Amino acid sequence: MLLEVKDITVHYFKVPAVRNISMSVQEGDIVTLIGSNGAGKTTTLRAISGLKHPSKGEIRFGGKRIDRLAPHRINALGLAMVPEGRRVFPQMTVLENLLMGAFLRKDKNEIQKDLENVVFKHFPRLKERTKQMAGTLSGGEQQMLAMGRALMSAPKLLLLDEPSLGLSPIMCGEIAAIIRDIHREGETVILVEQNARLALALAQHAYVIETGNIVLSGPARKLRENDDVKKAYLGG
Amino acid sequence: MSSQLFIQTVANAIAASGMLALIAVGLTLAFGVMQMANLAHGHFFMAGAYTVYALYALAGWPFWWAVAAAVAVGALLGLIVERGVFRPLQGDVVSGFIATAGLMFVFEVLVGEIWGWGLSRPIPSPYMRAFRFMGAAVAFQRVLVIPFAVVSIGGLMVFMRRFRLGRALRAVAQDPEAAALQGININRMTALALAIAGAYAGLAGGLMSTIYAVTPSLGGHIILPALIVVVVGGMGSIEGVTLAALIFGFVMTFVTTLVDGVTAVMVSVTVMALVLAIRPQGLMGRVVA
Repeated sequence: MLLEVKDITVHYFKVPAVRNISMSVQEGDIVTLIGSNGAGKTTTLRAISGLKHPSKGEIRFGGKRIDRLAPHRINALGLAMVPEGRRVFPQMTVLENLLMGAFLRKDKNEIQKDLENVVFKHFPRLKERTKQMAGTLSGGEQQMLAMGRALMSAPKLLLLDEPSLGLSPIMCGEIAAIIRDIHREGETVILVEQNARLALALAQHAYVIETGNIVLSGPARKLRENDDVKKAYLGG
Repeated sequence: MSSQLFIQTVANAIAASGMLALIAVGLTLAFGVMQMANLAHGHFFMAGAYTVYALYALAGWPFWWAVAAAVAVGALLGLIVERGVFRPLQGDVVSGFIATAGLMFVFEVLVGEIWGWGLSRPIPSPYMRAFRFMGAAVAFQRVLVIPFAVVSIGGLMVFMRRFRLGRALRAVAQDPEAAALQGININRMTALALAIAGAYAGLAGGLMSTIYAVTPSLGGHIILPALIVVVVGGMGSIEGVTLAALIFGFVMTFVTTLVDGVTAVMVSVTVMALVLAIRPQGLMGRVVA
């Protein structure tokens, strides 16, 4: 297993936002975490990426415990997250944002290569805008930039938090196609989505989270056919 | 105003601008990265001045060695304050405010107890020469700070745009969490920002020590104009602060020469109020959503 989350509980002040959650991610998969607003999806991702330490349980990435590490240390191990709301650096250019993604990499040639062969290949639109300030991009372009920035660290595992949020249906489709492409080229992905239809169409494995607990998990194919999932998340 | 006095006052104004810029740029850099104002920043300037006093005037070091030591002392104080005050407080703005206000007194008493209170410390001038320009004489040591300010601030601007660590400082200022997710060690960046801030203030203090009244209260006197410059320039904007330092260097020097120092402060605060009435985010500040 590339990532293993065992029995973690995460508190905000005294209130547990997620309780005893376990999940695992196999290399090469897209694993999705679906659930309604406030169910604990983002909290789970924040715990994995190190932005919020769990109060209980453990998280292993490539066999190594990461649940006490600072986010920059976890990034150095090969885990990159695209946070909810994109969080690009608004007063930096597109190119500067992408270079920040490669902050820990030293080989300039490799960085240049990944810029061309990974980011600009998947997101040709960014190439036309390398000098534009990131804050002036459209929402969809910012999502692309945030994903490109994360890919610039050449991660073993990519965490995507609500990539479709606030995007037009056309842009949603475009982002979904890119996630599929990235996965096809070997990237392992955890996808958190409110848009369960989109998430279940992309993923191999899925977890359903409700009020801080995982209530259902299994192959995405099966969950698509599950009556409860259909009723609650796929509109009947 | 005679033409000689005018030329001298312009030279003094440029020097004051350079000094203000050296101080305020560090203050705004630290503020940008930490979102906390360091009230003890003026005391880094004072520490620089006292370092030159102790090493050059008392111990007889060559002037430039003493100035280099002032830079190092400023940087070291910056690192100590980051590690001892700001890092443990973790973005708690009110506590940071109070803690650094307390630190002002600590530095002041420390310096007063070591080197004495009261009268300013006499520091012999390392350069007796003067520039002659259109009949006016401008003392060399009065304008010494100008080339240093230009090179240091220009260098900082290039560093922030072209260098990996400089860009990381900007990233942390714009979104610390997102920066941490890119593998940037936030603590290291705040330490770097405070070290630069301390070094620049120490440099300014060291260079100005020969023409300023070096007393333990020097830091408290300099922090007000520095804060005005930072607020007017736009919190966190190096370019804006440099522009504001130029404006206030001229306003304060000319009003002080023509009227007096108290009036200069009044006029400065009025100018600040006017700028903020029109642009609440400062000259080049960004609107924080």
